[in-house]
Amino acid sequence: MQTSEIKYTVPKSIKKDTVFTFCPGCDHGVALRLVAEVLDELNLREKSVAIASSGCSVLLYDFLDVDCIESPHGRACAVATGVKRAHKANGSDKFVFTYQGDGDFASIGLGESLHSALRGENITAICINNTNYGMTGGQMGPTSAMGQITTTSPTGRNKEYHGFPIKTAEHIALCDGVSYSARVALYDIKNIINAKKTIKKAFEYQLEGLGFSFIEILSSCPTNWKLSPSEAHKKIENELTKTYPIKVFKDIKETPNV
Amino acid sequence: MSYITIDKTKCKSCYLCADVCPKALIKKDGDTGKTGQATVRFEDKNNECLACAQCAMVCPDLAIVSVIKE
Amino acid sequence: MSEKELLKGNIAIARSALAAGCSCYFGYPITPQTEIGEFLSYEMPKRKLAYVCAESEIGAINMALGASATGAKVMVSSSSCAVSLMQEALSYIASDELPVVLVNVMRAGPGQGHIYPSQGDYNQAVIGGGNGDYKTIVLAPSSVQECVDMTFRAFYLSQKYRNPVILLLDGMLGQMAEPAIIKDNPYPETDNSSWVLNGANQRPAREIRSLEPNQNKLIRHIYEMNKKYKALEANETDWEEYQTQDADFILTAFGTMARSAKAVCNYYREKGIKCGLFRPKTLYPFPFERLRELTKTTKKFIDIEMNMGQMLRDVRLSILSNVQISFIGKPVGDWLSESEMIGAIDNIIKDCYANI
Repeated sequence: MQTSEIKYTVPKSIKKDTVFTFCPGCDHGVALRLVAEVLDELNLREKSVAIASSGCSVLLYDFLDVDCIESPHGRACAVATGVKRAHKANGSDKFVFTYQGDGDFASIGLGESLHSALRGENITAICINNTNYGMTGGQMGPTSAMGQITTTSPTGRNKEYHGFPIKTAEHIALCDGVSYSARVALYDIKNIINAKKTIKKAFEYQLEGLGFSFIEILSSCPTNWKLSPSEAHKKIENELTKTYPIKVFKDIKETPNV
Repeated sequence: MSYITIDKTKCKSCYLCADVCPKALIKKDGDTGKTGQATVRFEDKNNECLACAQCAMVCPDLAIVSVIKE
Repeated sequence: MSEKELLKGNIAIARSALAAGCSCYFGYPITPQTEIGEFLSYEMPKRKLAYVCAESEIGAINMALGASATGAKVMVSSSSCAVSLMQEALSYIASDELPVVLVNVMRAGPGQGHIYPSQGDYNQAVIGGGNGDYKTIVLAPSSVQECVDMTFRAFYLSQKYRNPVILLLDGMLGQMAEPAIIKDNPYPETDNSSWVLNGANQRPAREIRSLEPNQNKLIRHIYEMNKKYKALEANETDWEEYQTQDADFILTAFGTMARSAKAVCNYYREKGIKCGLFRPKTLYPFPFERLRELTKTTKKFIDIEMNMGQMLRDVRLSILSNVQISFIGKPVGDWLSESEMIGAIDNIIKDCYANI
């Protein structure tokens, strides 16, 4: 008699019959699935409140089967602060995380993001860095790499006109209130496995009450980069990781005194 | 005989699964999906599937709904 | 509790908020409301309540947005130019139908203006400073006792209607001390168990959102909100009338200006001149109907404000065309004294009264 083993199935924390509305090959789908898998593994679905923000990330609440609230553009970490603190004042502890884009987290919302990190809010922020404003059609963002061609940097990002990109995970790691800050990517299996481990670690740090945990997920945007999904992954592997190295920048358990 | 199940209505023809399959068991299909491109099908005549689930891991659209090892 | 005390407006609001069950406060310093945050920074941690010195008013109001989604009673306080920073989130809060109490202790504008008291934010509060079709309930106290009463009421109305409420007072009232009593919360608690976000445990996941790609759903949502506003207008409109019954002319004023206006009323009554006062206590919903009724018997109205005529617009909208409306106002600071008001009013009514 044969025994069968389920090696993979769609995570429970994804809403039934979900069809992602992202473009073909977009890494958002992988990132969201990893988040859902970790929510499943840590049994967090029933005690979570997720914060969605503006941009491609906003439709979180259509996909994740957890309580969700949408924040104004960039303010996800402030909204998360309110949710977490209000529950605490009410004597209950909820698992609170944000799911934002790079424009949201590191441009319009940098103030809210950075100060939540500095205050050591016991929340987790996930930032999808696809180096442009994806939803509006690929304009230059704070994370667009030097030389990157976008619809608002048609000859490539240069320092005279546009200045330099922000390295979010490095910046967040400098804040004393941060327990964990890392950058991961999704361009191959090894990195996807690593990304999931990292998300899990960041979530666990919140559960342990260690403070602000942060993951920057370097993601592809094939449509706006005008590349095929696999070419977009190669671009991340060969080009973008030079600007944005895949690395753990802070882990309070490893190097508590950074 | 291990196998995967594909939900073609979710496939957006990015072919990342086809690229990653170590046994090249995922191929372009005759059907076109929502993007107007060919979707993918799983073809494993010689029972080569390892149930490694790499295809499911790279799929950005939950189109690979299960991977079963037998 | 329940003893008469000498209370400053700002402190009265902070203490009443605690008495009303406020469990979350988020703020950023700005004169003339800073005492609210200072007082609560001392009191709330003692009670293990949520208090955050936010990085900005934008941060503060968005924390309030998140906190109110858990069903908590949430207050944010600020002043004029900084309340402008909160307008985006206020529009979201209205669309999300979340209960947030926002205290605006008005200072002078436009721009940074200065810390002088003013009533220059009537338009922003009542008409709305954020985008889209939404309304904020606006309560306008004119005494420290009303600061107390209306703080309780603000929490009650915000929870009952799931709508942001603005407590709108000027810096003079915030900074002024007078006797008042803080009693127990007179209002019942509202059941919010059907919509709060506390984890999808043995129930379907909930979402609180303002984005709605489906046009028909968005239209329905706006109609539903509008139904709520109609109910507000029918049930919660509140005002004070003083000697309006037989008045030849009626002064209209809100907040602190109505206090001076009341003294002016008394002055004219002593002289045998029939002056009345109409004071809206809710600026939204505005008492249009009652004011219109009064125009059947009184044909002259004088609007008095500490601005260049903002409530004047609503007074005009209330009043039938065959009625005379005049305006007396000063934008900021050294608010209209009784004698200034009397001088201006004498000028307006001199044709009717030979003995002035």
